[in-house]
Amino acid sequence: MKAAGTRRARRSTARLAGAALLLAALALAAVRLRPSASGVPAGLADLPGLALRSLARMSAAYLLSLAFALAYGGAAARSRRAGRVLLPVLDVLQSIPVLGFFPVAVAFFAGLLPGAAGMELASVFLIFTGMAWNMAFGVYEGLSTIPADLAEAAAGFGVSGRLRAMRILLPAAVPKLVYNSIVSWAGGWYFLIACEIISVGGKRRALPGLGSYLQSTSDAGDLAANAAGLAVLVVLVVALDLVLWRPLSAWSERFRYGQAGTSTPDSSRVLDWWLAARGPRALRRAAAAALRTPLALLGRAWDRLAALHPRARRALVRACAALGIAGAGWLGISLVRGIARLAASPWPERAAEIPLAILASTGRLLAAYALALAWTVPVAVWAGSRPRVSRVVRPLAEVGASVPAIALFPLMVAVLVRHIGVSVAAVLLVLTGMQWYLLFNGLAGVSAIPEDLREAARSLGLPWRMRLRALVLPAVAPSLVTGSITGWGGGWNALIVSEQLSYAGVTYSAFGIGALLDDATYRGGGDPLLLALCLGAMVATIAVLNRLVWRRLQVWTAETFRIE
Amino acid sequence: MPAPAPAAQPPLLALEGVGMRYAMAGKEANVLEGVDLALADEELVCVVGPSGCGKSTLLRIVHGLVAPTSGRVVFEGRQASGVNLACAMVFQSFALLPWLTVLENVTLGLEARRVAPAERRPRADRYIDMVGLEGYEEAYPRELSGGMKQRVGLARALAVEPRLLLLDEPFSALDALTSISLRKDLLDIWASADVPVSTVLMVTHSIEEAVELSDRVVVIAGRPGRVAEILPVALPRPRDRKTPGFTAAVDHIFSLIV
Repeated sequence: MKAAGTRRARRSTARLAGAALLLAALALAAVRLRPSASGVPAGLADLPGLALRSLARMSAAYLLSLAFALAYGGAAARSRRAGRVLLPVLDVLQSIPVLGFFPVAVAFFAGLLPGAAGMELASVFLIFTGMAWNMAFGVYEGLSTIPADLAEAAAGFGVSGRLRAMRILLPAAVPKLVYNSIVSWAGGWYFLIACEIISVGGKRRALPGLGSYLQSTSDAGDLAANAAGLAVLVVLVVALDLVLWRPLSAWSERFRYGQAGTSTPDSSRVLDWWLAARGPRALRRAAAAALRTPLALLGRAWDRLAALHPRARRALVRACAALGIAGAGWLGISLVRGIARLAASPWPERAAEIPLAILASTGRLLAAYALALAWTVPVAVWAGSRPRVSRVVRPLAEVGASVPAIALFPLMVAVLVRHIGVSVAAVLLVLTGMQWYLLFNGLAGVSAIPEDLREAARSLGLPWRMRLRALVLPAVAPSLVTGSITGWGGGWNALIVSEQLSYAGVTYSAFGIGALLDDATYRGGGDPLLLALCLGAMVATIAVLNRLVWRRLQVWTAETFRIE
Repeated sequence: MPAPAPAAQPPLLALEGVGMRYAMAGKEANVLEGVDLALADEELVCVVGPSGCGKSTLLRIVHGLVAPTSGRVVFEGRQASGVNLACAMVFQSFALLPWLTVLENVTLGLEARRVAPAERRPRADRYIDMVGLEGYEEAYPRELSGGMKQRVGLARALAVEPRLLLLDEPFSALDALTSISLRKDLLDIWASADVPVSTVLMVTHSIEEAVELSDRVVVIAGRPGRVAEILPVALPRPRDRKTPGFTAAVDHIFSLIV
């Protein structure tokens, strides 16, 4: 037994060493890369370096998102009053198509810091907006589902302050946070291109990275180089899944409350190795030793803060609140001034097209949604009840979700646009931003069906059609609705880059709000009023759909198809 | 109800050298080994054993929900494979579909067995009344107490009129008073001449429960679980837990398990 264990550890050590070598090669290539702020070097040799730069941006945005998620989700879960304000705000932030607001955000950051630094900051912020909301919801959900008896036990044993944060709150947030992190990270890749091509004052500027490389090779019509970039992206996604997300996901299982019984826990060779082999153990010990002093200092500072006189603490909270209100006020004033400035500009002629454009785009989303349901539900039902299949399907879906829609442009143009039309291509591109959420949620829903209900269905001898109707479909309905809400959010976001495709210097356009938005941003230096009207119309449409359709469906399915 | 000698009739069910191994996390777990057991028509047999001895697994092997890794299951003289629809199971956790009403839960198995639509409703009603849930046909499981939920579970299993009724710790999720009344109802139903369900195999961890109900008690013990003894209980029904014969049987089984 022990020998087998060490053999396995040795084998994974070798595999890990291989991965480390690969990363080292990437790093070396990055060092060789000349720093070039303007223009994108399109050589194949530069690809690893570009990938590394993109990875650095993603990591920075992820760390920011993590800090934001813990603070925001923590605050929302801590006090009901705060939650009543923070959660709806998060809801709005999550459901608006962030991509559409990019021009505004970019203008802000480019003004904040001059030159390349401002652009990098803007890019990181853009990636952050794609990652953060979902993670904050994860933290909130994790914290608000701490079982009451556990919370009482902790309080009864006098567990409070830092100990409570580290031993009760943080662990409770981990499983959902890790799960949502994986989705957010994939989303980061998906919008990478949009985040590395930044437009200031109607002019596009590219930051050196994998996303801009994909875009520039696509613009140039260089299919081979584009495919190489895509291959690097896929390798990166798979490698990260193997060495980071899978181990994290397996590790997070231990923080789940209740019996793990029904769902099959994730396993990870890398995690086993990390926990068992000698090298990592020494490394972890060293890291713990190095971190002990700063952590202790931080902890002491925290304790001192917690031990502050109630009056002093209240003053501190008030000061923070005042700062927040002041910031909000400043934002409000600039918003009003911006609107005033917009209102003064001449009414754009194309504003009359907005209602029809919204209708056309909604139709495209509906078509994409129907396609997504048609394939994801059967796959989820089939794979979700087979742990072994699920273990293969999930990483594949993660890779699929990470492929940026724009990276598919050359393929779309080459095959679809020329033969069928832009509209169909747009539907398929929207599908790429929509389908994975349905698949992820569907898989999770099917694999969460309690074992005793499955057994009862087999015991009663239900034929597959009855099993589907009486057991599986009702059981996954709540997850499917959740997946639909996120999927439609992703779909609106994807729409913005899907209705206007440029390939080899030619722009192909389908009539819709996405194309209109694109024109308002870029054509002839941009038209801020048209942009604002388009965004407003889109947000209003999304809000109405959410309120009239999704919210109701969510309440209904949650009540009718709950399993306790 | 006379307890027929098992050898006098061909058995309804025979387990021959049944064993079960699991591969879990790279380790082999041996749950059951060499279990031989025969069950005659009209018998009520309980399987007792400490938790983790594989008794629930044994029940699932009988039903065909899991296949044994060794040995075979013979039902009505034929080797069984796959889910045996001549059996019906009552689950410890009730396993009712929460989005179906009591009536819909009970008719589900009838629909699966292609009972004619016109016949489903009266049959379901009959068993719902029998378990004392008259008037709750349109209620949803979450509106019922634990005891009532298990009555639905019982009605669902009885409604398909199985040759062999399987019960997996049916009373252990219920409070003491509820389980007393449900146990009594089970005995009444089993003994009733109107009910075509007459052979019962039940798993329990309560020795008293096993002695109170069974014609024979199958004691499983050890790791992997093996049949330690098959003990006939000849006490007259209804059985009083305070009689010396009852206590002696309980003490004997207790000594086998510990």
